[in-house]
Amino acid sequence: MNNTLKKNDMKTAYIMLLPIVGLLTVFVVIPLLYAIFVSFYQWSFYQDSIFVGFSNYLLVLKDQAFYKAMWTGIKFALIVIPIQFVAAFLFAHLIKNLTAKVGGFVKTSIYIPHVISGVVASIVFMFIYNYNGGLANYIVSLFGSEPIPFLADVKYALGSISLPAIWLGFGFTTLIILAGINDIPDSYYEAAEIDGANTFHKMIFITLPLLKNVFLYVIVVGLTGAIQQFDLAYVMTNGGPLNSTMTPNLFIYTHFKNDPYMGYTISAALLLFVIIGVISALMFRLINSKQVED
Amino acid sequence: MKKIKKTILTIAGLLVALISIFPLFWMALAGFKPKTEVLGYPFKFFPTVWDFSNYNELLHSTEFIRSMGVTFVGAIIFTILVIFVNSMAAYSFARLNFPYKNVLFIYVIMTMFIPSMAILIPSYIVVAKLKMLNTLTVLILPGVASAVNMFLMRQFYLGIPKELEEAAVIDGATKFGIYRHIFLPLSVPVFVLVGIGSFLGFWNSLIWPIMTISDERLYQIMQTLAYFRSAQATEWAMIMAGSTMAAIPTIILFAVFQKYLIEGIKLSGIK
Repeated sequence: MNNTLKKNDMKTAYIMLLPIVGLLTVFVVIPLLYAIFVSFYQWSFYQDSIFVGFSNYLLVLKDQAFYKAMWTGIKFALIVIPIQFVAAFLFAHLIKNLTAKVGGFVKTSIYIPHVISGVVASIVFMFIYNYNGGLANYIVSLFGSEPIPFLADVKYALGSISLPAIWLGFGFTTLIILAGINDIPDSYYEAAEIDGANTFHKMIFITLPLLKNVFLYVIVVGLTGAIQQFDLAYVMTNGGPLNSTMTPNLFIYTHFKNDPYMGYTISAALLLFVIIGVISALMFRLINSKQVED
Repeated sequence: MKKIKKTILTIAGLLVALISIFPLFWMALAGFKPKTEVLGYPFKFFPTVWDFSNYNELLHSTEFIRSMGVTFVGAIIFTILVIFVNSMAAYSFARLNFPYKNVLFIYVIMTMFIPSMAILIPSYIVVAKLKMLNTLTVLILPGVASAVNMFLMRQFYLGIPKELEEAAVIDGATKFGIYRHIFLPLSVPVFVLVGIGSFLGFWNSLIWPIMTISDERLYQIMQTLAYFRSAQATEWAMIMAGSTMAAIPTIILFAVFQKYLIEGIKLSGIK
């Protein structure tokens, strides 16, 4: 009796797990194994594939464009995440000091960009950056300057596509940090105040160490997400001018569109995946060890 | 002194809040401007005449409305599937005992660490070989199983006290019955969180639709917008009206569920 019951439970468990395991196998695990396999072949939709060993990888590693795309992704992430993080950290403290009513309104307003798509954000900022009469150039003209080709000049393009990324992520980051701050008991701050600590001291000596894990999460997830940015670069500049906004994902996509031999593209994607994995692991260790030293 | 500080903070807070929503306001406003005023000189903040023709034209455009509709239907089906497939797995891992449980759990969790970019092209080859290109299925099915969402739900289920099930067990309820009658009703907060994330992910997606969909009857809304932008590069008022309409469902969703979402930041357990 008990045994049949147990058997039934087992059956229930396997039936309930079948969809997730099946779907992950078909759409994640098989593609990954297939990617590793194809990376050793010269492969296209139209021909038989030829085994080529590591030559796809060598081709990628010799390709200046690959390094440039990787570097563009890193630069983009290093513009977006530090600004977003510092702004969010400071602003979370500010919200904590607001009355419930004002704070509620502020929290709602800054959350809204989080639900907006990269495409809509791209379009809005292209409009704002427009050379002929866009809002940004109107403001520039008030200071008596000539209009700036925000998206067409190599000097400005990457910075210009970073702004919408900061806008999209700022509010949500703030709210995550705020949730962490709210978990810190008020008594810690009160004790510090009695000892004569000012706002800055409290931030550095109480908030920062106690929110280590929140920060780690926000920064690592933020950096790996930013390196993989696609929508903004695709819609706003399509990688230009002179590939200055060619992020790794857009690089892969562009190759996919133009290069019938998938071996190179797939190898490049796998290498990027490894590099990003290493970077986030390093970040993790770096931030973690620094906290321990303190 | 304290009062002055408080006032300054309040003003600064409100200012940042306004800057945060300003781009969306500016977008919606531009949709109401006549073609001659949307860009160019002299600069006009508000339209001199409120022009409804852009929004009106889009509301009567078969392509645009169809694209919104197809994306909406896809997003709803996707969201429901995400909730069911992942919550069933979450329940099994949280409450049932069976051989190879750990192996299966690690197998599922492992997929969390495979970035979609690494498998983007082989995924495309797989769906192409399965003859799924240019179907709604190709947009929906590949993303349904999600280790992150499964894990979130499992954490939630582990927090449900076992006592709640005991009465049902005595009454002879099956394990599936317990899932159906006890766990599902308790899951509303986590389902809302996962559901909204899934809906937004589907609605806002660009790279997968532009790779797998070339039949314009199935164009996803962000795909439609991106193509429209590059084809009609000068029609700014119309483009802004289209972007506004494409953003409205996501903003409505946020407005309806904002309490859950702001609470949900704690629920997602990043601490």
